[in-house]
Amino acid sequence: MIPETPLRKALDWGRLAPLSVRARAVAEGVYSGSHRSRKRGSGVEFGGHRAYVPGDDLRFLDRRATLRHDRLLVREFETETDRGLRLVVDASRSMAYRSEGAPGAKLAYAALVAAALARVALTGSDTVSLDFIGGENARPLPPLSGLEAFERIVDVLEQVTPAGDVLVDDDALDRTLLRVARRARRGVVIVVASDFLDLPDGAADRIAALASGGRIVVGARILDPAEVTFPFEGPVQLRSSEGAVHVETDGTHARAGYLAALEKKMAGFRERLVGAGGRFVEATSADDPIRVVQRLLEAVEGAG
Amino acid sequence: MSFVFWAALAVAGFVVGPIVAHLLRRGRAREREFPAAALVPPLTSTARQRSRLEDYPLLVLRAAMIVGLAVLGATPLVRCQRLSLERNQGASVAMAFVLDDSLSMRDVLSDGASRWDTAKKGASDLLHSARTGDSVAIVLAGRPARIALAPTTDLAAARQALDDLRVSDRATDLGVAVALARTAVRSLPQKDRRVVVLSDLAGDPIEDGAPPAVTPLASLAEPASDCGITAAERRAGHVTVSVACSSDDAAKNRAVEVVGGESNGEVKASSGGPDAGAKRVAKGDVLATAHLGPRRGEQTLSFDVPARGDVLDARLTGSDASAHDDEAPVSLETTAPVVGVVADPSEASAKTGGPTVIEQALGALGQGWVARPLAFVPDDENGLDDVGALVIDDPPGFSPEARAALARFLKRGGVGLALLGRRSASTELGFPLEPFARGAVRWEEASGLGIDATSIGWLGVEGKSLAAIARRGRARLDGTELDGARVIGKWSDGVPWIVERKVELGVATTVGLPASLDDSDLALRPGFLSLLDHVLHQAESRKGSRRTLAGVPWTFSAAKDVAVTGPDGALVVTTEHGDAACTGGGDCEDTVARAVPAVRGRYTVKIGSDAEERTVTLDPAELLAEPRAPKMSTAGSSAAGTTFVDSSREVALVLIALFAAELALRIGRRIAARRAAPAT
Repeated sequence: MIPETPLRKALDWGRLAPLSVRARAVAEGVYSGSHRSRKRGSGVEFGGHRAYVPGDDLRFLDRRATLRHDRLLVREFETETDRGLRLVVDASRSMAYRSEGAPGAKLAYAALVAAALARVALTGSDTVSLDFIGGENARPLPPLSGLEAFERIVDVLEQVTPAGDVLVDDDALDRTLLRVARRARRGVVIVVASDFLDLPDGAADRIAALASGGRIVVGARILDPAEVTFPFEGPVQLRSSEGAVHVETDGTHARAGYLAALEKKMAGFRERLVGAGGRFVEATSADDPIRVVQRLLEAVEGAG
Repeated sequence: MSFVFWAALAVAGFVVGPIVAHLLRRGRAREREFPAAALVPPLTSTARQRSRLEDYPLLVLRAAMIVGLAVLGATPLVRCQRLSLERNQGASVAMAFVLDDSLSMRDVLSDGASRWDTAKKGASDLLHSARTGDSVAIVLAGRPARIALAPTTDLAAARQALDDLRVSDRATDLGVAVALARTAVRSLPQKDRRVVVLSDLAGDPIEDGAPPAVTPLASLAEPASDCGITAAERRAGHVTVSVACSSDDAAKNRAVEVVGGESNGEVKASSGGPDAGAKRVAKGDVLATAHLGPRRGEQTLSFDVPARGDVLDARLTGSDASAHDDEAPVSLETTAPVVGVVADPSEASAKTGGPTVIEQALGALGQGWVARPLAFVPDDENGLDDVGALVIDDPPGFSPEARAALARFLKRGGVGLALLGRRSASTELGFPLEPFARGAVRWEEASGLGIDATSIGWLGVEGKSLAAIARRGRARLDGTELDGARVIGKWSDGVPWIVERKVELGVATTVGLPASLDDSDLALRPGFLSLLDHVLHQAESRKGSRRTLAGVPWTFSAAKDVAVTGPDGALVVTTEHGDAACTGGGDCEDTVARAVPAVRGRYTVKIGSDAEERTVTLDPAELLAEPRAPKMSTAGSSAAGTTFVDSSREVALVLIALFAAELALRIGRRIAARRAAPAT
C-alpha cells in the first residue's frame, strides 16, 4: 500500500494511484497487446567490432572477422546504445484540474502514462530521463537505465505538485526545452505530456524545434473529459487555472464556440509537430491508459 | 415564544431562502475553475437574461409550494375558523340573528376588520351552513331594536337581506333586540331554536331566557380606543363641541378643529344680513382649534366663532378605531327642547325641599331637555308652542281654555303625560281630565298590589323595579279610557295603570299614580326614569327637534309631501297608519309619515314648500360603553355551533395544482427549446 504523504495528497490522483503498480500494469498490458520488443525495431544497425571478452553473447561472434584477424571479435550495433526516451511532463497549475467523474487529475494521468512509457523503455534497456514544465518539487532526472531507475522515476512523479503559471513565467518552458535538447542526441524520442492549453505563444514552434537533429518528438495532449465536452448548462462563471481569466457565460450557448476554439488551438500544435516530423496524440484522462501508451508507441514508430 | 411562532419563522426562512439565493445567483453566476476558460466565449447578457426570465416562475411556484406544504403539515395548528351550525341529530334549526348595527360596531379591531364586518361574516357563515327547512330571522340591535327579517325558510331571501344590511350610528338596544329575537323564534315549529348574538355586548348584560342567547364571536368584545364627536352646536358666536372618548389613550394628543363645511360654496355672497359682503369660510378652513384632555369620558369644548351664516363642521385630529365619528356637522343655532312640568311643589317635592322629583328625574336623564316648571296648564292656546313635552302631576281637572290649549299642543305633535292621583279623583264639575281621561277617575286605597311587569316590558329592565311598588292607593283608570286609548301597563289585578292615546301627531299618556312621595315611591324607582325617557323619546320623534340622536324617528303629518336628504342621500319616508304601536281601531285611521335617520350628519327636510335643516348626533353612552366579554357558558364553540373547518383538503388541492403548474411550465419550455433548436 502506498503511504499517504502530504505531497501525495496535494495532487488529486483519484483512481490512478498507486502509480508504480498502475504503471507496471499498463506496461504489462502494452506488452501483451503488441508482443514485440523495442530491441527488434528497425533502428538496429551494425556499429563495428571489438575484442571478445568472457561473458559476451556468443551469438554476436563474427566468424569471418575472427578467421581473418585470428582473434575473437564480436559485432556491435551503434544505434542500440543511442536510443533513449526523454519524458517532459507539464506540471503547471492547470494540470491539477479534475472534473466531476474524471478518474484523476490531468497530471496524475500524465504521470501514469509517463511511468508506463518509462517502464517499457527501461525494459528494453533504453535510457529514460525526466523533465517538468513548472511544478513544485519537480526534480529533473538525467538519463537512467536499468529497472531500478523505474522506481526513481515513479518516486519523482509522485512527489511533484502542480504549480506555476507558465503564461506568467515565460522562461519556464524554454529552460525545460533547453535542458532536454542538451541531453537528447540523434534518435532520441522526446514525449511531451501536457494539456497544451496554457503554454505561452510560440510554444508549438519551440517544441517542434526539438525534432531537429534526428530526434523524434511526440506530443501527448492530455485533457480532462470536461475540457473536451464542456458540460456546463445555464449561467456559469469560469476562472482559468493560469492567466487569471474570468469569463461569465451561458454554458448551453457557449459550448459550440468553445469546442471550435479548442479544436483550432490543438490543430495548431498538431500541424507544427507533424510538420517537423513529430506526432500528436490526443487523449483524455478518462481514456484507457494502456491504449494511450500503445498509441504513443505507434506514433514513435510512425515518426521514426 | 410558542411553537407556532418558531414554526412560522422556519417557514418564512424556507420561503425567503430560495429568494435570496435566487437574487444572489442572478447577480452573479456560479464561479468554478476551468483551465480552458480563455477559450470560452463570454455571453454575459444572455446568462443574466436567462436567469431573470426563466427562474422567476419556478421560484414563485416553489415558494408557494413550500408555503403550501408548511400549511398542510401544520393543519392541526392552522385551521380555518368558521362559524357553522351544529345540529342535534340532523334536525332543522330555527335561528334568530341579533346583529348589532350600533355605532360601536364601526370600530376597526386589531385584525384590520371592523366589528360590523366580522359580525356580518359570522352571520353569513352560519347562513351558508343552514339547510332547507331551517328558519332564519334577523333582528337589529341598534336603538330602537327592530326586526330586519321576519322568520323565513327562504334562505336565499335571508342571504339577500343580510347583504343589504348596513351599520348605523344608533345606540345599542341589545336587551330589547334579544327579547324580539326570542319572541320571533318561540312560535316556530322547529324544536331546536337558537338566538345568536353578534355584538360587542357593550351596555347592559343580556338577560337569561329561552332560547338561550349564544355569542359565538368573542373577538367582537376586543376593546377599541375611540373618540367621537357626539354633538356640535353653534349658539351666539360660540361653537360647543361635545366629545366622548372610550379610553385615555384615545384622547391623547388629539384636538378638535372647527372648519368650514361642505355647503359653503353654495351660499350666495349677496345674501342679506349684517354679514353681507364679509369673506365666507371655505370648505376645510380651520377656524379654531382646542386640545382634548387625555382622559376617558365626555368633554365639552367651546370655541369663539364669528356669528355668520357659514356652514361649519367639527373634526378630530389624529386617528382611532373609527374615523367615521371623528367628524360632525355643527348644528345651527337652536333652542334647547323644553319639557313643561306642572306639579305642586308641596306634593311632588322631597321633604327637604328643592325642585320637584319630576324635574330632578328629568335632570338625571340629561338628554338636553330643559325642564320648565309651570304653575298651571296655560289657558292661552299658544302657551305651549315652545314646549315639546308636558308632564302634569295630579291635576285637579282642566278648564275649557286649558283643554283647548292641550288639544292644540297634542295635535301639533306634543306628548303629554298625566300622573293622576288623589286630587284628580276629586275634580270639580266642568273641569274634566280630558284629553287624558274621560270623566273623573276614582281613587282607592288598596294594598298588596304591584305593577304587572310583563305588561310594561317596553320600559326595559327598569320596568321590573315597579313590580313591588310601595303606595297608599291608586287612581283607577278602568272605564275612563277615551276613544282610541289603549292600555300599555296594568296592575297585577288587571286594572289599567298606563293608558296611551294618540291625538293626531301627539300622544297623551295617562298613569294611575301621582309623583307625590306621600302617595307612592313611584318617582324614586328606575322605572319612573324609564317612563320619562319614553315620553321624551316620543316627543323628540314627534315634535321634530332640529337635533336628534341617530335612530330616533321623525314623524310628520302625512298631509304634505315630505322629503328627507341626508349624508347618505335621500332617506326613505314611510307612511304608516297612526302610531307604529297602534294595534287597530280608534284613531288608527290617521296616517303619518315617518323617516328614521340612522347616520349622524346634516339633513335637509322638505315639508311641502317649507325646508328646514336638522342634525343627527351620536349618543355619548354608545361611545363610552365598554365591550363585554361573553359568558363562558355562551361563548363556547359547542354552544355557539362554531366549528373549526379543516382546510387540508383545499391546501392539498392547491399544492397539486402548483406541482402541475411546474410540470406544465417545464414541459412547455422543453417543447419551446426543441422548436427553437433547428433555427439556431
